[in-house]
Amino acid sequence: MGTVHARSLEPLPSSGPDFGGLGEEAEFVEVEPEAKQEILENKDVVVQHVHFDGLGRTKDDIIICEIGDVFKAKNLIEVMRKSHEAREKLLRLGIFRQVDVLIDTCQGDDALPNGLDVTFEVTELRRLTGSYNTMVGNNEGSMVLGLKLPNLLGRAEKVTFQFSYGTKETSYGLSFFKPRPGNFERNFSVNLYKVTGQFPWSSLRETDRGMSAEYSFLSMCGPERCLISMLQFPIWKTSHTVKWEGVWRELGCLSRTASFAVRKESGHSLKSSLSHAMVIDSRNSSILPRRGALLKVNQELAGYTGGDVSFIKEDFELQLNKQLIFDSVFSASFWGGMLVPIGDKPSSIADRFYLGGPTSIRGFSMHSIGPQSEGDYLGGEAYWAGGLHLYTPLPFRPGQGGFGELFRTHFFLNAGNLCNLNYGEGPKAHIRKLAECIRWSYGAGIVLRLGNIARLELNYCVPMGVQTGDRICDGVQFGAGIRFL
Amino acid sequence: MSLVAEAFVSQIAAAEPWPENATLYQQLKGEQILLSDNAASLAVQAFLQMCNLPIKVVCRANAEYMSPSGKVPFIHVGNQVVSELGPIVQFVKAKGHSLSDGLEEVQKAEMKAYMELVNNMLLTAELYLQWCDEATVGEVLEDVDQCCQALSQRLGTQPYFFNKQPTELDALVFGHLYTILTTQLTNDELSEKVKNYSNLLAFCRRIEQHYFEDRGKGRLS
Repeated sequence: MGTVHARSLEPLPSSGPDFGGLGEEAEFVEVEPEAKQEILENKDVVVQHVHFDGLGRTKDDIIICEIGDVFKAKNLIEVMRKSHEAREKLLRLGIFRQVDVLIDTCQGDDALPNGLDVTFEVTELRRLTGSYNTMVGNNEGSMVLGLKLPNLLGRAEKVTFQFSYGTKETSYGLSFFKPRPGNFERNFSVNLYKVTGQFPWSSLRETDRGMSAEYSFLSMCGPERCLISMLQFPIWKTSHTVKWEGVWRELGCLSRTASFAVRKESGHSLKSSLSHAMVIDSRNSSILPRRGALLKVNQELAGYTGGDVSFIKEDFELQLNKQLIFDSVFSASFWGGMLVPIGDKPSSIADRFYLGGPTSIRGFSMHSIGPQSEGDYLGGEAYWAGGLHLYTPLPFRPGQGGFGELFRTHFFLNAGNLCNLNYGEGPKAHIRKLAECIRWSYGAGIVLRLGNIARLELNYCVPMGVQTGDRICDGVQFGAGIRFL
Repeated sequence: MSLVAEAFVSQIAAAEPWPENATLYQQLKGEQILLSDNAASLAVQAFLQMCNLPIKVVCRANAEYMSPSGKVPFIHVGNQVVSELGPIVQFVKAKGHSLSDGLEEVQKAEMKAYMELVNNMLLTAELYLQWCDEATVGEVLEDVDQCCQALSQRLGTQPYFFNKQPTELDALVFGHLYTILTTQLTNDELSEKVKNYSNLLAFCRRIEQHYFEDRGKGRLS
């Protein structure tokens, strides 16, 4: 009998070049059966052995968990499908550079006539990989050194270290990640970091030194199911992350001319918070999705585990996408959040929300909406923002099937509001306050997709509803980022 | 400050009169403020009182981070922020108030010299005491004694260091001496040294009574 080589089953995209990662639009590959294998296809088979070649420091137990399903296959097509899925799971562990699958009939004394052997040929990643980059940005240059130790102790633990040394700031981050053997979605990670940021719209400089511990898992039961059916989401897994974070924050003025309101916030503070984030994502891609929806809900409670900042913060993001005729996509998104300080101390500028910019309400300058003092934007304790978009392929479709597929024409309508709430008043007063003086804008532009992570936009925007104090950027606006309204 | 910056600041400052809501920021009393910072803050308060300019004192835990130079005290006047006695004296002068205008050049130089003496000796002693407190404290006390002797001699029987009008030197000396006399330390030798000079004691009491209690400010902050 002939052997079936099922090597490197790459997922084939359904239409056009797709720059997605593995598993994004995974399509099962049909192999043309030869004459003899036609019989095999319908015949019952039994997977007798699964071999692994090339394991070094990887421990057996995590491998066994990932490939358990292969043994349950009943016929050849199922064997191929299950091996393909096992291969995807092994690659997802992040410990192998390459995984090849070989399916062969069973040889040997205990071989059954319909027995099959599946062999996974793997190449482990090296113990230590490093990278070195230099970055040049706004009047600043920096060297970035990255170190990664995958599969540290044999069970897909990963340690990453990144160090950035710049002319203005230095930052670093160390993170340890451990998945649960057999259940990769349940994972635990500990991070240590120092990050500095400069925010010219507030004349503020912030240095955060902190550590965090988080635990992620998937769930399909409980309140999400009710939520899912209410919003008519297709059934999809919900990802939860529970995190404790302790941060030593140092705020300072960016220049001598910072406003006094920002000067009053200078100094050190300690934030210790517990947070929970829930993500339901049924989109086919995170950048320029064609269909599906996203719901992210995040809540954070600070002050009850120590520290001198005390608040409860709620934040959500909703996005719905629908494909229309002529390859165009209609997308609606809605963001909102609220920060309630607990106790007498007012909220800190580092915890408040900001609005405006090429990635949020287009047509306004970066984070330049809402309460401000002498030109420095102080952020607000409650906000909402919404956007309606129509994405179409470029007119006359240049470069169709190739480079042109990365671009989209984009028509948008954005609206939102940001303000501080007086929590002594009731919810009706809050809604009224958020509904008056709404800022909004409309326009059109071009979107370029960068891999599966980021996008660039060049838009012509017309801002409306501008209040005194807001800074606008009407006309052409350029934006780059990963999260857009 | 560079000459250009000085000229610029004076232009801006001179334009506006002294507002009613001028504020002075220092650290929290009692649990946070250090000996030397307390002395500096008192000196500025005394100076502003002597100039007859109203000032409100606010204590904040992050005062030293709010300050543009990192030092306390600093004053927030209109939308200007100025820290430390030297620049504050300049700033106030640009607004048209000055205590040392009536002095001759020679006296001004002398005043500056005494202010440096106080800064070098008394301030160093305070810093030493709050951070070190070791065996070489003998030398530090020697310096303090010498400084107090010089000040006592210069003061003599006059009410203030330069004739009958107080100057910034009086404010600075008062700030330091009052802090030394009234703060409880592990080591009382420093205040003992100052108490040896009765005219300095009388000087402190006089300024306290005249500029702080009599003005209805109540007890010194």
